[in-house]
Parts: sequence; C-alpha cells; structure tokens
Amino acid sequence: MSTKQKADLKVIIMGDFNVGKTSLICRYIEGKFKQQEPTIGAAFFLKQWGPYNVAVWDTAGDEKYAGLSQFYCRSAGAAILAFDMNDPKTFESLWARFTPMLGAANENCLRVVVGTKMDTVTPETREITVEDGKRLAREFNEHIDISKTPFEPYFETSSKDGRGVQDVFDYIFQYCLPLSDDQRKSQSKVSRSTIDLMDDSCVHKNQKGKCGC
Amino acid sequence: MSIKAFELVPAIERVKLMSDKAKTQIECLDVCGKNVYIGTNDCFVVHYSIEEETNSSGRVSFKTEKQGHKFLTVKKPVVQIKTASALNRIMVLCDNTLTLLNMLDLEPIMTGAKVKGVSCFCINENPIRTNPFSVEICVALKKKTVQLYTVTEDRLMHLRDLHIPDPAVAVGIDGIHVCAGLATSYNMINSETGQDQFLFPFDAENNKPIIKRISKEEFLLSGPSALGMFVSSAGNSKRPPISWSENLLSIGYVHPYIVAMNDEFITVHSILDMQQKQAIPFQGGAALDNFDGRLFVASGREVYALVPVPFEKQIQALLADKRVTEALDLAKNANRTGMTRDKFLKMYRRIQQQAGFIQFAQKEFEQARTLFLESEIDVRELISVYPHLLPSNCNFTRSVPALHEIADVTQLVKGDNSLLADFKYFLRTYLEEIRGTKAAYGFKQEIDVALLKVYAETNSPELQTLVAVDTGCDLHDCVEWLTKYGRFHALALLYKYHGENDKALGVWTKLVDDGVKDEAFPGLIFIVEVLANLSDHELVWKYIDWVLEKDEEMGVKVLTERPANDPPSERLRPDAVIDYLHRFPSAVITYLEYLVFQRKLEKETYHTHLAVLYLDNVLRLMKKDNVKKEELDSARSKLRHMLQMSSLYRVQLILGKAKETDMHAECAILYGKLEEHDKALRILVHKLKDFGGAENYCLVNSEGKDPAYRKRLFHILLSVYLDPSYERRDTLITPAVTLLNSSVAEFDTIKVLQLLPDNWSVGLLSQFLTRAVRSSMHNSRMTRIERMMSRVENLRCKEQCIELQRDPVVVNEERLCAVCKRAFNDPTFVRYPNGVVTHVHCAKNKFICPVTGRLFSSGSGAS
Repeated sequence: MSTKQKADLKVIIMGDFNVGKTSLICRYIEGKFKQQEPTIGAAFFLKQWGPYNVAVWDTAGDEKYAGLSQFYCRSAGAAILAFDMNDPKTFESLWARFTPMLGAANENCLRVVVGTKMDTVTPETREITVEDGKRLAREFNEHIDISKTPFEPYFETSSKDGRGVQDVFDYIFQYCLPLSDDQRKSQSKVSRSTIDLMDDSCVHKNQKGKCGC
Repeated sequence: MSIKAFELVPAIERVKLMSDKAKTQIECLDVCGKNVYIGTNDCFVVHYSIEEETNSSGRVSFKTEKQGHKFLTVKKPVVQIKTASALNRIMVLCDNTLTLLNMLDLEPIMTGAKVKGVSCFCINENPIRTNPFSVEICVALKKKTVQLYTVTEDRLMHLRDLHIPDPAVAVGIDGIHVCAGLATSYNMINSETGQDQFLFPFDAENNKPIIKRISKEEFLLSGPSALGMFVSSAGNSKRPPISWSENLLSIGYVHPYIVAMNDEFITVHSILDMQQKQAIPFQGGAALDNFDGRLFVASGREVYALVPVPFEKQIQALLADKRVTEALDLAKNANRTGMTRDKFLKMYRRIQQQAGFIQFAQKEFEQARTLFLESEIDVRELISVYPHLLPSNCNFTRSVPALHEIADVTQLVKGDNSLLADFKYFLRTYLEEIRGTKAAYGFKQEIDVALLKVYAETNSPELQTLVAVDTGCDLHDCVEWLTKYGRFHALALLYKYHGENDKALGVWTKLVDDGVKDEAFPGLIFIVEVLANLSDHELVWKYIDWVLEKDEEMGVKVLTERPANDPPSERLRPDAVIDYLHRFPSAVITYLEYLVFQRKLEKETYHTHLAVLYLDNVLRLMKKDNVKKEELDSARSKLRHMLQMSSLYRVQLILGKAKETDMHAECAILYGKLEEHDKALRILVHKLKDFGGAENYCLVNSEGKDPAYRKRLFHILLSVYLDPSYERRDTLITPAVTLLNSSVAEFDTIKVLQLLPDNWSVGLLSQFLTRAVRSSMHNSRMTRIERMMSRVENLRCKEQCIELQRDPVVVNEERLCAVCKRAFNDPTFVRYPNGVVTHVHCAKNKFICPVTGRLFSSGSGAS
C-alpha cells in the first residue's frame, strides 16, 4: 500500500481555515484547481522527488483540530505556513497559532511562508506587503541557517492559475533533499512538459567541457 | 458509497443464553476457535461451543451449544474476557480484579494468580519473548501505573511497572510500546526506557477512549471530533484519519475493513481509501471485536457474527454501481485472502475487463484502453459491441456471465453520430495498437476485418495498406462491405492479396471504364504495374488488349517492365508478342527496343524489325510536309544509333531501302557494316562533306581491330580525299592535309608518300613528315633496344644452362628415384634444378619438385 512506504521527508501544510491549503496541494499533485470540501482531520499525499518519497500532509485549519494538527506535525522536516493574502488575520495567526504547534516538528524544520489566492489580490486590496512576508519568514527560520538558500522562504501563489506553486515545493525539496543537476532535470521532465531554454545547468555543462588552457 | 461488505448472522440467540434471570445483559465477549465466552453484567461467565456451517447456496449459519457457566460471586459485571488457549486458561476482569479460569470447566485457578485494582488489560500480540506457553499482558491499574505481566498456566509474573501522569482508561500494547488512553490525552510509552510520549489531546470524560492494535507497530485510536487516528509506535501517523461517528463503543478490524460500533449503528470503513462503505443498524451493541479474522458483535442479549460478503460479490456490487476505482482497489487487496496467484490474476483480469467496459460505456476511453490492455481482453469481446464488425463466419459468443450489459454501441450513442464516430475511433486506435502484438495472437482475422470495416466507413488511407500487406481479412464479408462503401480499389487489392487476380483486375478495369469514383485508385498506371508484375501470363494476355486500347505507350509497359525473375512462357514468347502487337505500331517499337536494348536479345529478326520500323518512321516523317526538324532529327539519330550499335540486322535489306532516299549518313553506316569502307567514306566525304564524321568513322569502325586495319581505313579515307577522278578534288586538299597532320590518324608512311601528288610542297606536309620520321626513328631505336635485351636474355639462359649442366649426375645401382625409391634400370631420368633425381614417369610436373614441392619458373626448366 502506498501509504505504508517509508517516506524520506514529511512536509506539513498549516494555516487558518479556508486559506487554500488543500487547493495548493491539489494544484501541485494533480496540476488542476477544483472546489475543495473542508478537510476533516488531515489528508495525505505521496510525491516522488528524484529517488525519494515525500509525504505531504494536509491538515485541517479549523480550530477544533488544533490538537491533531500538532500530532501530525511530529517529525515533519518542513512546514508550509499558508495565509490568505486578502486576509491579514490569517497572516497574524501564523505566528500566534501555529508557531507553538511546530514544536513537535523536527528541530531543524524548514518553515516556508506562503501567501495564497494571489489571483484575487489587487494592489488596492493588498494588505500584506512582500517585505512583511519576508520578515516573517526570516523570523520563523532563525533557528536554522537559511543562507545557503537562494532567497527567503517566502512565496506568493495562486492555486487557481498555478503561479508559484511548483516553486514552493521545489524550494522545500531542494533544501531538504538536495538533488544533483542531473536528477533535477529528470525530475523536472516528469513534472513539467516544457523545457527551460535559459536553464543554467546546461551552461555549466558546457563550461566543464572546455579545454584546460 | 454503500457496498455490502458484511452480513449480520445470528450466532447465539437470547433463549439459550437467558438461563434464569431476565435482567442478564451481555457485557463482554471472546471467541477462540470453537469456544465462545460471554461475560454478563450479573457476574456470570458463560461458555458456548460454536460451529460454522455453510449451506449449498453459500449462506453461513452457526450452531451453538452451551457448555457451562460460572458465577463469580461478586455480583459485579464481568468487564473483559480474554482466552489464552495455549495455557488452557481464560483471563477474566471482574470487580477490578483480573483472575484466571480454566478454559473448559471454568474453575478458578487457586494459585493466587490475581491482580487487583485493574481498570482494563490487553494481550500483547507481538510479544518480545517467544515462549509459546506464556502470554504477555498489559494491565492498566486504577492508579497512575501500567503493569506488564507474563501469564503462565498458574501464575501471573510481574515484569515491570510503567508510571504515567494519569490513570489509564484504555491500553494497547505492541512489542515494547504501550499506548495508553488517559483522562485528557493519548500517550505512547516505551516500556524499556519508560519514555512517555504525548500523542494528542482527548477528552476521556465525554468520549470513550478506544485503542485497537491493527497491525505491527500500528494502533487505531478513537480521536477527537469523531476521527479515527492511526498512530505508529514511533508516535506519528502513516495514514490519514478516518472520519467516523461519535460515541463509539468498540472497533474491529478485518483487512481491508475497519468496523466501528456505536449504540445505533455498525459502520464499515475501508482502510484503503478511509471512506465509509456500509452502515448496519444495530441497537444496543455491547461488544464487538475481531477474533482470528472473524468479527463477532454482541448486543445486550444476542451474539451475531459479521460474515464477510465474498470479495467477488462486493466487487460486482461496486461494478454494478460503476464505482470502478473502488472495485479495482478492493480487487487488488483481495490478493491477500489466500488465493493462488493464478486464480487471483484470472479474477482480477475479469474485473478489469468489466471495469473497462464500464469506462467504455461512460466514454472514458483512456481508462478503458488501459484496462483492456492490462487485462488482455479477448478482443472479440470488444469488437462484438460494434454491430456487424465481427466477421460473419465468426462464431464468437460473449463470455458468460457477461462482462457488461451493452447490447451494442448504437444503444450507447442513442443516434448521436459524432459520438458513434468517437466510439469507432476508439476501437480503431485500440485495434491498431494491439495489431501485431501478443494480445492479437489468434485473432488476426477478427482484428483486421474489424479494422477494414472501420477504415472503409471512414475512407481512411490506411485501408490500402491493411488489405495489401499481410492482411487477415478474408474475402467473405469484406467484399460485401467494401462494395457497400464503394472502396473498389481496396476491394481489388484484397482480391489480389488472396490471389484472385482476375477478379481484382475486373474491378480495376471497371473503375477505369465506368468512371466509378474512388479517390484511392491511382489510375491506369496502377493496373499496368499490377499486370507487369503478374506471373499469370494467361491473365496478362486477357487484359493486355484492354490496356493497349486504353493507352499504347503505357500498356506496353506491361510487357517491358516485367520483373527479372519472371518465368518464361509460351504466352509471352517475344515472337508471339510481336505478332500480336502489329496493331499497335508505337507499342511494337517500344517492345522491340526493350528486347534489343534492354534484354539484349541477339536475334536477327528483332534487330531487323526494329531497324525497319525506325526506317519506316523516318521515311514517313520525310514524306510528310511541315514536319519539325527536331522530330526528324531525333528519329534519324535513333535509326543511326540502332544501325551503328547493332550488327545483327540484315544490312542489305535496310541498305536497299535507305538508298532509295537521301539518307547518306545511314547509308555510310550500312556500307561500313558491309565493310565497304570506300563507298562509305565516299558518301561521307562527297555527299555529306562531313570530314570530322569521316575521321570518326575510321576510328569507330576500326575499334577493337588490329592497328593495320585502322591504318587501312585512314588510308582509304586519304585516297578518297586525293581521288584524282573526283572533279572537285581541290576542295578536298585542306581536309586531306588536316587528316595527315591530325594526331589521331595513323598511316603507313610509305603508302602515303606514294599516294601524294608530286606537286605538294614539303612545307604543307612538314608536320606529317616530321612525325613520320620521328616515329620511324623511334621504332628503329626501340627495335634495337629490344634486340639487345633479347641478346642479354639469351646469354643469361646460356649461362644458367651451363651452370646446371656442369655437375655430373651419377646414376648407378645405389641411386634411387626420389619419388618411388626404386633403382633406375634405364638411362633416362629427370633431374630437377634443386638436384632431385627421379624416373621420367615419376616426374609428373616438371615445374614442381615432387619432393619439396618447390615451384620452378619455366625459365629454369628441367633436363
């Protein structure tokens, strides 16, 4: 049974009720956007990342499941902290509600702050600035060294049109289970049908091939 | 969402249990093999035997018989009973005291095996110690302690105490891990280290905590918010939670189903997708559990068994509801229920096929395709869904019981033509995919006929390839079908494939004659190709007339473009063909050209015939007025080429005809053929004034002959130039001089000098003379060199000869032949240059030494 497989990494997604956690995962796993029922308890997805298995746990945002969410946090290697970009309250509760829960996760757990529903945000309605998000992300990750990552673990996404979703997971997986360039390529072949002509990894290869003089 | 996974079957009816008191209620239950133990609220332990019976229709029923009972005298309910059959004991919890009873006579064991202050206990099904005659149990006390014991026949041996923050209300144990339900939370305790891990909060005041070990290192706990939480020994979860009902009383687990009971319902949940599958109304449930894979449930007064509905039935029920994914999931897991691999595969395939048809009917073609492919379905099942697509002589009947309820696709599409096209397109792609693979083995005819019919309907270009190359289509009903859809070209190709060439050609000729439309048909040229490659010459003969009538030029290709390995036959003997072709003048020329130039037949009549025809053609063109010059030129050059190239035709005959007209060039060639070079050259020089041509003539006609012949020809040409009898000979002086000075012409110098008129100046001839002197000088010198070299060679030979003959060869009685080892008895012998001496008759080859095998060149011969 698929759920019985030993997962190499556990990723958990948390956030207030109705911020779009399940949609985010659904967009990543199935590549489409559909209406979701409120999650009861938790849900579970398995994803291949190179040679690794990654278990993605979707938690229920409702307050009454708080105790369980903490349980599901146990031994998580990374957490996605999702908030609705239209609703500053959901942003605030990340700090207030979910930081304590993450105590059960791994000590060096990567915490990624993700804004959702980007498609519905206009510059006028926007309340959380990019700087706010990045600052929170930095604060969350004070316990670990994130200097080796290309940028702060802060993303803005839209599950509806797919913007930024792939980046969130790539960022997490690459941080926790680094793949070599080759592995990444084959991985991206699986998950993306388009070829990135600007892909840096190609350039690196060419340089290697040059003569020593 | 509902399926029938279990059936409630009564096991022990109330009348039998109710011994005396009407208030007696069942409190707990344990089943072990054929023993059922019931604990009642009024302190009785009742023992029944139980026998499971399956009648002919597959219905399960139970026969029970009361074996005995025991009153435990404390007037408190019996809360828990667990059988330890290996010890022949039952463990009974009553009045917070855990005691042992004999399993058969229910007599207490009087060795002080007793624990007091117990709230609950459980057996470790994954014990650390492996002694089969002991049982490990975990006991939750009323105080903040959990104890572990090893139970033997007459003793409860205390192993260790585990301290917990609160008294435990429920416990579970697996290996070294104890899961405890406390007043406000569930905790996981490692019994070796004593480490206590908080799992999640739970309000035990208002809900009953339940801990059910479901597999190695995995428990199922009743969580908050009516959730069933899976927890591993490590303290985390490997499965998402189950959403079930509030106020659960107990849980049972028989793979792949979790069965949960509250006071109104028994609900069945799949552990595969966590969904509820069945709900059985059941009032007043008291106890439910699985015992060695069997589920029993007790209400206050009766005991029932939850008999699993056979997987097959469940799956069929799911399929009937078109719940394909669930059915397949369940089928995959049925593997675990003790079937052989083969039997399972057979069953699974059948389910896949059924599922495939369900998807098919719902137009989920991609899934249907995968299912059909994976299940290796008999392709006829699929084809038979389409009306008329199976070959009419195919006696296929759909499998019984039926895989689906589809009468045919027309029923599915309900007259929607574009939908029908989709269905047909699916069939087509599917058949194309399996064609030639293992799946198509044995059904080639069915597949190809179905494809043919689909192609014919949609007029696909693939149709021709299908019928022409390695086809399984028979003639039977394909002919009818192709005719119906007007695919005549394909029809003819099919005939041809089956060797019915006459019919095939019949169709094609009709296509040409009647102007019947079939875009696939490439036209007359195609028929010509077919005929050209047809080895049945009678048939060729039958249609040749028709083809030639249609188009002479093209038609004759039937005869000229035959394959290299075409067997000869009387019908197509060239003479007969030529005779026949009289009616078709241009065809006969083409045919003769084919015979002469391509097949290079060296037969006088063909060559003559062709030459005459060429000639006639030229003559005809000449007679006509306003003929284009190019046309005439090309006709003449053809003729000339023929005359020049061949030497087999009857020259006199052609010459006679050619002389009648002004065809000087041709005459020259013909004279050349007759070796009448003088005449030929005269024509060239006098009539045509073609001096270059004359020189060329000399070269061409002397080709391959000795140099003297060439000299003679050039001499003749020169004589023609210098012929004093010709009245306009002045004009020929220049070409004569040019000829003499030409580097290609060769002459016998002396003859030339004799021929030249005396009055010519030396200056005019200087070039020729210089060349003549030079070459003569050269010849003289070369000859001298040759002479001297020959002398040298001669001297060398002489020297060798002397060398070889200088040594004497003594032949006496002791001297033996090197080959036969016998003495010489006559004076002749052979001596090889390497000194080997043999009899004359023993020397088989004088160039090869018979002893050493050395090869001597002819220069150093034997003596």
